[in-house]
Amino acid sequence: MRKIGKNGLLSFGDKYRIYILFVAVFAFMSLFAPRFFNVFNVTSILKAISMNACVAIGFTVVMICGQLDLSIGTVITFAGVIALGLQPSLGYLASVAVAIVAGTLVGVLNGLLVAKAKINSFIVTLGTMTILQGAIYELSGGNSISVSSPEAFVISDFLSKSFLPLITPRILISAVLVAVVEFYLRRTRSGRNFYLVGGNRSTAWLAGIRTDRYTIAAFALSGATAAVAGVFSVLESTSATLKLGENSLMYVISATIIGGTAMSGGKGGVLRSVVAIFTLEMLYTGVILFGLGNEVKIFLAGLILAYVVLYEAYATYKHEKSLGQRPELMKELAARKSASA
Amino acid sequence: MKHVSKRFPGTIAVDDVSFEVSAGEVHALVGENGAGKSTLMKMLAGSFDDYTGDIRVNGRDVTLHSPTEAKKYGIGMIYQELSLARPISIAENLLAGRLPKRGPFLDRRRKASQAKELLARVGLDLDTDLPIEDISQHEAQLVEIAKVLGNGPCILVMDEPTSALSREEVERLFEIIVQLKSRGIAIVYISHHLPEIFRIADRVTVMRDGKKIATKPIGEVSREEVVQMMVGRSVKEFYKREERRIGEPRLKVAGLSRFGFFHDLSFEARRGEILGICGLSGAGRSELAKVLAGLDRADEGRIELDGAPVKSATMAQALGQGIAYLTEDRKIEGLALRLAVDDNVLAPIVDRLSSASIYSKAKGAPVVARLIEELDIYPPDPERTVGNLSGGNQQKVLLAKWLASAPKVLILDEPTRGVDIGAKMTIHNSIEKLAREGCTVLLISSDLPELVGLSDRVMIMRKGHFTREMAFSECSEESLLLAANGEGSV
Amino acid sequence: MAVGIEKAAPAQLPAAQEGGDNRALGSSSAGRLVSAAGVYGIAVLFLAIGALLQLTGIIRGFLSLQNMLNIVDAAALVGIVATGMAFVTYSGHFADMSVPTTMGFTGYICIELLRFGFLPALAGAIAVGLVIGLVNGYVVGKFKANPIIWTLAVNYVTMGVIRLVWVNKQIYPDMRGSGQDAVALFDGIYRLRFFNLIGLPVVILVVLVVLGQFVMTRTSFGAKLKLTGSSLRAAKFSGINVERMITASFVLTAFTATIGGLAVTSLSRVGAWYNGAGYDFKAVTAIVIGGMTLAGGRGSILGVLGGSLIIGLLNNVLTLLGVGTFSQDMIRGAIFIVVVGINAKSLRSLGRDDA
Repeated sequence: MRKIGKNGLLSFGDKYRIYILFVAVFAFMSLFAPRFFNVFNVTSILKAISMNACVAIGFTVVMICGQLDLSIGTVITFAGVIALGLQPSLGYLASVAVAIVAGTLVGVLNGLLVAKAKINSFIVTLGTMTILQGAIYELSGGNSISVSSPEAFVISDFLSKSFLPLITPRILISAVLVAVVEFYLRRTRSGRNFYLVGGNRSTAWLAGIRTDRYTIAAFALSGATAAVAGVFSVLESTSATLKLGENSLMYVISATIIGGTAMSGGKGGVLRSVVAIFTLEMLYTGVILFGLGNEVKIFLAGLILAYVVLYEAYATYKHEKSLGQRPELMKELAARKSASA
Repeated sequence: MKHVSKRFPGTIAVDDVSFEVSAGEVHALVGENGAGKSTLMKMLAGSFDDYTGDIRVNGRDVTLHSPTEAKKYGIGMIYQELSLARPISIAENLLAGRLPKRGPFLDRRRKASQAKELLARVGLDLDTDLPIEDISQHEAQLVEIAKVLGNGPCILVMDEPTSALSREEVERLFEIIVQLKSRGIAIVYISHHLPEIFRIADRVTVMRDGKKIATKPIGEVSREEVVQMMVGRSVKEFYKREERRIGEPRLKVAGLSRFGFFHDLSFEARRGEILGICGLSGAGRSELAKVLAGLDRADEGRIELDGAPVKSATMAQALGQGIAYLTEDRKIEGLALRLAVDDNVLAPIVDRLSSASIYSKAKGAPVVARLIEELDIYPPDPERTVGNLSGGNQQKVLLAKWLASAPKVLILDEPTRGVDIGAKMTIHNSIEKLAREGCTVLLISSDLPELVGLSDRVMIMRKGHFTREMAFSECSEESLLLAANGEGSV
Repeated sequence: MAVGIEKAAPAQLPAAQEGGDNRALGSSSAGRLVSAAGVYGIAVLFLAIGALLQLTGIIRGFLSLQNMLNIVDAAALVGIVATGMAFVTYSGHFADMSVPTTMGFTGYICIELLRFGFLPALAGAIAVGLVIGLVNGYVVGKFKANPIIWTLAVNYVTMGVIRLVWVNKQIYPDMRGSGQDAVALFDGIYRLRFFNLIGLPVVILVVLVVLGQFVMTRTSFGAKLKLTGSSLRAAKFSGINVERMITASFVLTAFTATIGGLAVTSLSRVGAWYNGAGYDFKAVTAIVIGGMTLAGGRGSILGVLGGSLIIGLLNNVLTLLGVGTFSQDMIRGAIFIVVVGINAKSLRSLGRDDA
């Protein structure tokens, strides 16, 4: 039985590359970055990534379906603004619920436009992103919102206090979400169907899978997780700045691609994206710990995204060039070379 | 014991056609492009929801308004374009939509075992977790067949299944078809390839212009009669040969290699000669063509044209020196389907028609008009969108494109693949005319009658090397086939 | 991304197909004029709506000369950027998302270099813009990177560079000890008016549009670009150097982004990272409204001009109606989606898949 596909080791590397990278970066930083390898630092890293890790869950699923969701950054901010903005009138439970529902609805809208109106996802989410940007400013009047009631601080404390080393309730919630979704994608029939929809839409359709529903569901999930990320972020910090989700898109796209989820769809995983976010954040923290400023961090983040995109494109380019090479001819060549050597 | 009959009166594409196929039978469906055979089968596949007429499967009246319904009634379709998802594993492709569950979760062990069992039916033994993009094209086609078989169809429709296969792969496919026959499956086999049909089919139905012309048992009809029914006119002397003056060697290739694709090729081609290049798929023929055309770079060797060395780093340079290449694929690599005929035909010579960067399409209009007439492109409208033309006409536009550039050397790669008889004849005549006018033609083709009929000489390629050269007198379909497989007298 | 299954009616034989929808849209000059006219028709419609609203007293000041000039000035900024980006869209590569930071970045560079004189500053800014265009064109052209993601990445990198070099500071033209003349000239980029009416950006826009339309329809480059946008592989296998085509289109985009960036920076009189914000989206919207399809190979620069005018008119009417800026953003986003959707729908009903 043939086990190794024609790409052999390359496919293996593709799948597990991010884990290898994670270990490598962790080791490097622990050894060389001052003040890196301690509970406090690692916990703060985990806290820092809770928001993006949560968003990445839904974003990865959208990418697995072969689509792109550019609106996630604005959904984060949108949900955060709603959650805190409505709190005085509706109370926490209701405002949080409304915020999450709102994010999900944005996702559903995206999904409907992509699936039913058949518009390219980049276009649709660019449009919703712009619409949401306007909405955020209209709702907030251009200012950040904060709450300072005693309850607010109770919630904030609750979310941010570690009850186990390295784990705060917020980190735990995010981790649980990641685990649940990852398990769902790998071990249930409907989870696997997402991959098929992204791998070849018509094949999935012909197999009886309702591709439109899956697409809409993926976008809805993306909107929902973005909203959850935003909500928890503002609950913990008790304020919603208008720049909350600004850089999320950049981080999450880089991480998802580095983690092995291809833009073409059908491949990848949520856990890998989250590990990638962790790895990237370790890198950024390391940069700060090495004494370089925040600007360097932003520059680096952009550079990494550029590098990742370039790498993937270049790898595809090289692969296409060598398609169709016959192994026996290469052997012949090697034999000839050694004969004349 | 199982019978299918359908009647569809009154649509223009398929005009009152009755067709039936029995269990354990291979019924071939032939006709030119546009004859309606694909449409007829699409009705069976459930692609339309508005046909008229009756269909009966196993004695039961059915309405097939969606692919799911078709599947339900036991109809399986295998198209030329594979319907597999490339990044997804074999197992998940085979069992798409019906992955085995254990409770709410996936049953991975059963997934693997079911997949393996399906693969075994087509004689494949692979790790079922491999994604489709990691297996060869031929293996992927077998997976496709396994997938359709997995639905337990009682009727299997195959649309041009062998157009991209090598001889050995075709043999393998035929073995599988025979197995399926013995299991009582009814098979509809659509193909342009008459030799294959005469080998494998029990009955043949000929369609033309949407109507059924005749259905005959294969033993009661000859090849010429079938062709005549398909074309509606007598096709005697399909390849009549005129005397052509063959001149001096013009293209000389020495020691040409592209590592991993072909090694150490040396040959000469003369003015006015049609040099056939024969070989199984994967022998390296298209790769050779691409290097000659400037699309890829050779790693070693020399090319000389009319005495001057040719060093083409780009296709544009090769074109400038007079070497043109008609690609194997016409829909994606050959033509821009969204654009008009004239845009496509003039594409390689845009620079030639421009002075100081100002492009004058009008200058090219007479060329386009002449070629449309010469190649009998229908409809003869230079502004018609190419994507709306039939396959044969599209291929003619593709040929026109390269004729327009008036090359010294024209490399043709499968110039009549998937093309109806009428268009085929026109294209062949055009190729002969080109050679008569002094152009050197390299003809790469898997269509053996075509090679035999057109070529002055044939070079056999096998696994990246030239194995032998066959003069016109030695060429016959059998001898070419043997040589391509590496057998026969060396 | 795969195509969905069509439920086609029993197809008629190709021979039987009739009608204008078989002619390649826009391939004839008549066809082109019709689609361009359609866009201007909408622009006229907006003008009429605005006039109507004024006449019925709902808004005031719409039909005044000053207002018209405002509209044209605003449209010019978008139009300049959109004219260049249209080449990228025409080549089938959607859009260039690095335009906002290119605009801001070149603005900074120009101001920084003003102390060496106006012309050197101009040259420097343009040079920087061209470099960005070259990089984009090379990566997307040769390595076939996803143009949106790549240019998005470049956008972030340029932002990072801006942050690195100038941290969060904004710089002013007269800050660096630049000569008075240079500063005045720079100011003039936005403020110079011909006959006291027509601003320089408008003139630049007209020139760019005329040149752009000419290049696209009458040069060999334009013809080859059309082929590249319609089917990249077919273009490649016809001997067209697609990599060069793509590189050139990205360079053109970066060039007009630079010009637009200088105009915007001149308008605001300050070098700031946010100077170009939103122009990527505005430009794409103008392009799409102007009738260019995102799949490539179809559309015209005249249409893009019309699209910019429509956006300008729309913004103006909305502002006069009292709609807030951010709500305007929302409306623009919605219109964008609608237009693209209509485009996609109409092309699909003609049997072609798009966007």
